[in-house]
Amino acid sequence: MRCSRLRTCARNPKSVATACCLVSRRSTLGWNPWATVVFRVPRPLAWLFVAAAVFATPDEGLAQKPDLSGNWIRGGRLEFGEWSLTDEGRRGLEAYDFKTDDPAYRCLAASWARAWMNPNVVVRITQSAKEVRFQHEFMDIDRRLPIVEAAQANPPRVSIQGQPALGSSTAWYDEDSLVIETTDVGPGYVSTMQEWAGLPQSRRMRTVERLRRSGDLLTIELTHDDPAYYRKPLVVTLEYKKTDFELMKYDCSPEEASIVAPR
Amino acid sequence: MRMKVVLLALVLPVLAMADGLRAHHSTVVNFDSSREVTITGVLTEVTWRNPHSRFRMNVTGEGGATVEWLVELGASNTLTRAGFPMETFVVGDRLTVTGWPGYRDRSMLLRETVLQDGRRLKP
Repeated sequence: MRCSRLRTCARNPKSVATACCLVSRRSTLGWNPWATVVFRVPRPLAWLFVAAAVFATPDEGLAQKPDLSGNWIRGGRLEFGEWSLTDEGRRGLEAYDFKTDDPAYRCLAASWARAWMNPNVVVRITQSAKEVRFQHEFMDIDRRLPIVEAAQANPPRVSIQGQPALGSSTAWYDEDSLVIETTDVGPGYVSTMQEWAGLPQSRRMRTVERLRRSGDLLTIELTHDDPAYYRKPLVVTLEYKKTDFELMKYDCSPEEASIVAPR
Repeated sequence: MRMKVVLLALVLPVLAMADGLRAHHSTVVNFDSSREVTITGVLTEVTWRNPHSRFRMNVTGEGGATVEWLVELGASNTLTRAGFPMETFVVGDRLTVTGWPGYRDRSMLLRETVLQDGRRLKP
């Protein structure tokens, strides 16, 4: 099949972006399948296409980065590595009073580890080339992190309004992982749950979260480096599973959350 | 047979999330999982919330004195996903509740409840 407009193209060699003209000029064949494409683009619009083709950069975001997107629900492994407390850290742990000190009574997350380890909550992750967004059902935490280059000097950081223990974070991709670094945290607790309740977090805590996906399993490894309270980094590892559950509002109320005893 | 099927349908999806419920809200920290207590009383308040839901119950002791108990359950989102029949609980109902006693007086974590009509439910 020949392009029905070949003759038109030949008479008007300056016509731009008429597909059959472009390919027919280069083609050494009498017939070229591209010649079946017959469209004519106005010249200004055509130059716009050319400029876009020249200056547009490919979307390097999702094509080369781990796909963490979707809804995830806590399930599977929850492990604490060995911890070694300083004297001050030990005093902080011993001083913890579950009746009064749990920040959840005030609808506050005690730390990122505590936010991640809450059972049966959904986290929705959405990714674009420049940002990764975490919508945590727990305390309705919405975390939108700009993606930076690893080891970038003075990267932009974001904090969560009303959640002082969650500090300020920045994120980058490292091969098959998303890495999130958090500093400038307020005092809190690595955990208020189970046998780890009361492990403290000082203002000097630096937390690195590393997220890696394997099929329908998301592994989050949190490394806590807090020289005020810990003699060596504390590693917490937990898992989330892909889920069809939708994100629900948590809608914590401090007035309700603080009720823990009868009248 | 039909009642058994209904009860199974109520209990199974909830039990599937049992591990998470047991770990909810520092359960081990707040409640003594080594023993159980049972109370019978009248439901005076029902609150379905996150991070935890609760009942208030008026319980009358052997001496005739009535005291209030606080009964804690899991987060309302968790209970909703598990299909726990929250609408079943109505203020004024008489319930028997068994659970782990709390480290605060007259508090507990609900493990099983028997409704007025005899049905047993486990969150």
